[in-house]
Amino acid sequence: MAAILRFLRSVRLAIILISVLTALSAVSTLIPQGREGAFYSGRYPEALSLVILGSGFDHFFSSPLFLGPALLLFVNLCACAVYRFVRELGKRGRKRFGPDLLHLGIALLCVGSVLSFAGRQTSYVELAVGESARLADGSDLSLDNFEFLKYADGRPRDWISTVSVTKGSETRLAAFAIRVNHPLKLGRFSIYQASHSTNRLLVLKDAIGPERLLSAGDRLQVEGKSFFLLQTDDGKGQASFLEQGAARASPLRLAIGDALGSMKLAGFKDVEVSGLQAVADPGFPIVLAALVLAAAGIALSLAQKIGDQTA
Amino acid sequence: MNLLPTASAALMLFSALVQLVWLFRPGRPPEKASHWLLALSAALLATVITWRSMLIGFPALTGSYESLVFYAAFVCLICFAYRLQTRVPYSPGVQFGATIAAFALLAVANSPIAPQALLAPIPALRSGWLVAHVALSFVGESFLVCSFFASAAFLATRDEARRLRYDRIAYTAIAAGYPIFTVGALVFGAIWAENAWGSWWSWDPKETWALVTWLVYTAYLHLRLIRKRRDSLPSLLAVIGFLCALFTFFGVNYLLSGLHSYG
Repeated sequence: MAAILRFLRSVRLAIILISVLTALSAVSTLIPQGREGAFYSGRYPEALSLVILGSGFDHFFSSPLFLGPALLLFVNLCACAVYRFVRELGKRGRKRFGPDLLHLGIALLCVGSVLSFAGRQTSYVELAVGESARLADGSDLSLDNFEFLKYADGRPRDWISTVSVTKGSETRLAAFAIRVNHPLKLGRFSIYQASHSTNRLLVLKDAIGPERLLSAGDRLQVEGKSFFLLQTDDGKGQASFLEQGAARASPLRLAIGDALGSMKLAGFKDVEVSGLQAVADPGFPIVLAALVLAAAGIALSLAQKIGDQTA
Repeated sequence: MNLLPTASAALMLFSALVQLVWLFRPGRPPEKASHWLLALSAALLATVITWRSMLIGFPALTGSYESLVFYAAFVCLICFAYRLQTRVPYSPGVQFGATIAAFALLAVANSPIAPQALLAPIPALRSGWLVAHVALSFVGESFLVCSFFASAAFLATRDEARRLRYDRIAYTAIAAGYPIFTVGALVFGAIWAENAWGSWWSWDPKETWALVTWLVYTAYLHLRLIRKRRDSLPSLLAVIGFLCALFTFFGVNYLLSGLHSYG
C-alpha cells in the first residue's frame, strides 16, 4: 500500500503523465476534431483513419486517451499536495506552501472543468427590437433597442442590445446594455451578445387592417386556409409559401403585388436582429477560484524563492 | 513615426555588433554600451506602441504587428535588466542571442506576414482582460527567450562550470517567465474568453498550444527537482518549450485556424 501511494505521488509519474498529455494534445491539434467518420476516411489513408477513429483522436479531449492520463495526473496531484502539505506542516524551519497552493488550484481546476463540461447549458435566441423571449425562470427578456456601432472605415465597433426583464407585471431589470465583453448576469445564467444579422421580412396588407410582417417559418391563416412561409425572398423578389389544405400541401410562389386571399404582398422590410446566447456554467465559479489559488501559489513560490536567494 | 521601428532595429543591430566584437575577446572586461543601446531601442518601440494606442483610442496590442513590437521591446528590456543585475551570472552569449531574437521579432513584425495597417479592435478584442492577457503572455515569453539561449548554450558545451552557469541562467529566466506566462496566457485568457463568449476554454488550437507550452515548462520545473543540474534533459525541455511558444504564436496563426485567427 505504501509503495502504491509513493508511486501515485511521485514526481516521476507526474513528469511521465505531463509528457504523455503534452505529446498527445499537440498531435490532436493537427487532426480536425468532432467530424463525422466519413470525413476522416475521405481525408486520410484507410489505416490512419481507422487509427484516428479507433483511438478517439477525432474527439480527443473527451476521449479516454486524454481523460485517462488526465485522471491519473489529478490523483497524482492530490496525493502529492496532501503529502507535501503534511510534510511542510511538520517542518521546523521555513515552511513552503506555494507549491501546495498551486497543486490545490490545479486539482480544483480539474474539478471545475468536469463540472463545466458536464453541466454547462446554452441556448440561443435571435430577437428584433420589440420582441421578447421566455427565460428558464419564467421571466421575459425583451429587446428594447439594438445598436450596431461602426468605425469610420465601416468595421464593427460594438453591438449593443438594450434589454429589460419582466416577470408578469413586475419589471426586474430595465434598460441593461448587453455588449460583447459585457454580459448580463441573471441568476445562474449569463446572457452574451453573440451575433448580429439582418432578417428580411415579408410585408402583407389587406384593405382595412394594419400591415402584417412575416418571417420564414411563420404561419398565416387567410379565409380558412393556412399558408406556411418557406422563404421570404428567393433573390428574385418572390416569396415561397406552402399552402396547407386538408388533403395535401401545395407550393406557392408569389411576387410583390400578388394577392394572397384577401391580403396583398406589399413589399419586403429588413430588420436588424440581435443574437443573444444564454449560458449557465456551474463549473466556472470553481474554475475562477482555482485560477486565483493557482496564481497565488505561483506568486508565493516565487516570493519564497526570491527570499531564499536574498537570504 | 514610421522611422522609429527602423531606428530601433538599427540600434539593436549596432548593439549586436558591439556584443559580437566582445564575444571574440573573452579576456576583456564586459563592454558597457550595448545594453544602453537596447534600452534606447525598447524606448523607441514603446513610443511606437503608445502612439498607435493614442491613434486608435485603445491599447495597441490586438494585432500581430503590435504584439511582435511589444515582444521585441520587452526582450530588449530584459537584456538591459539582465546586464545590470548582479545575482544571476552574466553570459555575453545569452545576451547576444536574445538581442538577435529581438531583432528577428522586429524583422518579422515589419514583414508582409504581419499587417501593419493601424486598425481599431473588433468588439471581441475591446477588453481590458485581453490587454492583460496579451501583454503578460509576451512578458513571460520574453524571459523564455533568455532561457532558450542559455539552455541551447548548455547543450552546446561540455565544460561543467559553464554548464552550471547556463543552467542557473535558464532556471532563473524560467522561474520568472513561467508564472507571468501562466497568469497572462492561461488565467487572464480564460477570464477574457468567459467574458467575451461565455466559454472559458474551447480547446481551440491556440489554447491547446499555449497549454502544451505551459506543460513543457511544468515538466522542466519538475524534472529539475529530481535530476542533477549537469543533466541535459531539463535544458532540452527548455529548448523544446520555447519552440512550442514560438509555434503557439506563429505556427498556429499561419497553419492552424481557430478562435484566435486574428492574432
